[in-house]
Amino acid sequence: MNLFFLLLAANQYLTKEQIRESIADYRDSTPGAFERKFERDKDELRELGIAIETGSRDPYFDDEVGYRIRRDEAELPDLSFTREEAAVIGLAAQVWDSASLAGESATAVVKLKSIGVDIDTDAMRMVEPRLSAHEPSFDAVLTAATRRVPIAFSYRKADGTESRREVEPWGLISVRDRWYLGGYDRERRAPRLFRLSRVTSDVTHVGEAGSYVVPEGVNLRDLADALFPAPPTEAAMLRVRAGRAQSLRRIAEHVESIDEVTDRVSVRYASTRVLAGEIASFGPDVVVESPESLRAAVIARLRAAVKEEA
Amino acid sequence: MTTTSSQRLIRMLAMVPYLQSNAGVPVSELAATFGVSEAQITKDLSVLMMTGVGEYHGELIDVDLGALERDGVVYLRDADFMPRPLTLTTREASSLIVALRTLRQAATGDQRKAIDGALAKLEGAVGASAPVDVHLPNVDAGIKDTILSALSRGHQLDLEYVTAARDERTRRRVDPWRVFTEQGQLYLSAWCHRAVDVRTFRLDRIVAAEETDLPVERSRESAEGESDIPAALFTPGPDTPFAVLDLEPEALWLIDEYQAEVVEGSGDTERTRVRLYGSDLGWLRRLVLRNAGLVHVVEPRELADEVVAQARAALAAYDE
Repeated sequence: MNLFFLLLAANQYLTKEQIRESIADYRDSTPGAFERKFERDKDELRELGIAIETGSRDPYFDDEVGYRIRRDEAELPDLSFTREEAAVIGLAAQVWDSASLAGESATAVVKLKSIGVDIDTDAMRMVEPRLSAHEPSFDAVLTAATRRVPIAFSYRKADGTESRREVEPWGLISVRDRWYLGGYDRERRAPRLFRLSRVTSDVTHVGEAGSYVVPEGVNLRDLADALFPAPPTEAAMLRVRAGRAQSLRRIAEHVESIDEVTDRVSVRYASTRVLAGEIASFGPDVVVESPESLRAAVIARLRAAVKEEA
Repeated sequence: MTTTSSQRLIRMLAMVPYLQSNAGVPVSELAATFGVSEAQITKDLSVLMMTGVGEYHGELIDVDLGALERDGVVYLRDADFMPRPLTLTTREASSLIVALRTLRQAATGDQRKAIDGALAKLEGAVGASAPVDVHLPNVDAGIKDTILSALSRGHQLDLEYVTAARDERTRRRVDPWRVFTEQGQLYLSAWCHRAVDVRTFRLDRIVAAEETDLPVERSRESAEGESDIPAALFTPGPDTPFAVLDLEPEALWLIDEYQAEVVEGSGDTERTRVRLYGSDLGWLRRLVLRNAGLVHVVEPRELADEVVAQARAALAAYDE
């Protein structure tokens, strides 16, 4: 920390010797120990995103190399937010749960408060979404995607088989509270989506930062298309016992009463398999009138259930 | 992964400018702001006092120990060399940017404007964006906006709600508390006048919502000790009904979907035996029927019998 303060306050190049003279811990160390501590502290600052520039104080002399931190780059610039903007930032800081990026968003908010941003979260009543990232690979994958580092990991597919994958990460997408990595699979030579909970090894770097380009116009949402229900293209007519099968009534286009105990319900759907399962789950409360393909699928499902009888 | 020591360094570096623009802040408030204990704050302050641009008086950061010990408040001196915080790290900026995008999806029109403004300013300031996208479930925008409007005005709501387990539709008057997401679903927690208790409603199962002019009777703030912690949504206990099922490979996704436990002894290399918890036997029966042929009931016997009886009755309705 002293190294940081010293360089920040100096606002000019300091030679290694000047730095050593100024900090007691360095001065009291043997030359070898000083070198080690100096390197360690520089690395630590770099990890915090603080760039230490090396250069010369005087370009006309072959001066000893100097170190400096540029204040204008290190400091948070002035930002002004409206009351509502400040409120949503405050609410955003409550989105991550404690095991993930909550610490980072809390520090970010503290920094904004220090430059005079007045955060009053009561100014807005909003939906309070929660984001979590329990997947052990989340941090490594996020860092790799941000810095564009190619990575390798072993991956377990839904059928249980495991294999090593080498991927150029494009980005992360969360769908139904699960994280997926979208990127270019180098062995399969095609874009792929990976569920982070199925990454079974540590994530290792297999290239330099910035060593690939994310193709223009890549949209993770498109890559993740299979995770979303398809738009309905088919129409079905059902007979439903009055007051029953609420999940089907909820998506119904039209409901009319046939008699006191039965309604006719029309629904639109995309997948015969999915709708047939839902209908079968209601047993005798729902009967398919049309189409025939759906009727047959439900009957097949029910017959499979009867066959279970011991 | 950020280590504890670098987290501490980040915190102390953030504290220096914060304490200068918030002179006299109580230690308790500081602890809450930075999310650590008061003891940790005191330790951080004593480390800060050993740092500075040099080693002499005026070069080392000074904390007014009198004020600290007497009044529990913090005054920092001789830290003028760091009047402003460090710029946001990539991870800090990403955490807020991703969170704002998440908020944006669930926001109303006016709120979106504020979020877009905040996003543009943050992304501009750090010169970076985050390669991260978040999708929240789609719910009826009209119903969501009605609920949010009642929430912000503190009005009671009339709901029509469908319960999946019992397959019934109910009407209830509620005092809305908050709308949140949990495990990828949107929920409303509210004081339910009918149940005279806190209830959690899944937004996609609310089929109608109407805001009344009546102020809420029991707000979340007034209901001390009443928890609406989402973790309590579904936690299997000793009395939770469960079934032991054998799954075909095509039904293995159920394990993740319902957090089923894999157990030993299917005696069949193709099938996986699991223990799966449900809110009641009716819910389990529907799950088995929905996946009939891919899911085989091992126990309880009662469930196996009900599945067959329901399937028979349904086939009879088709004249099969």
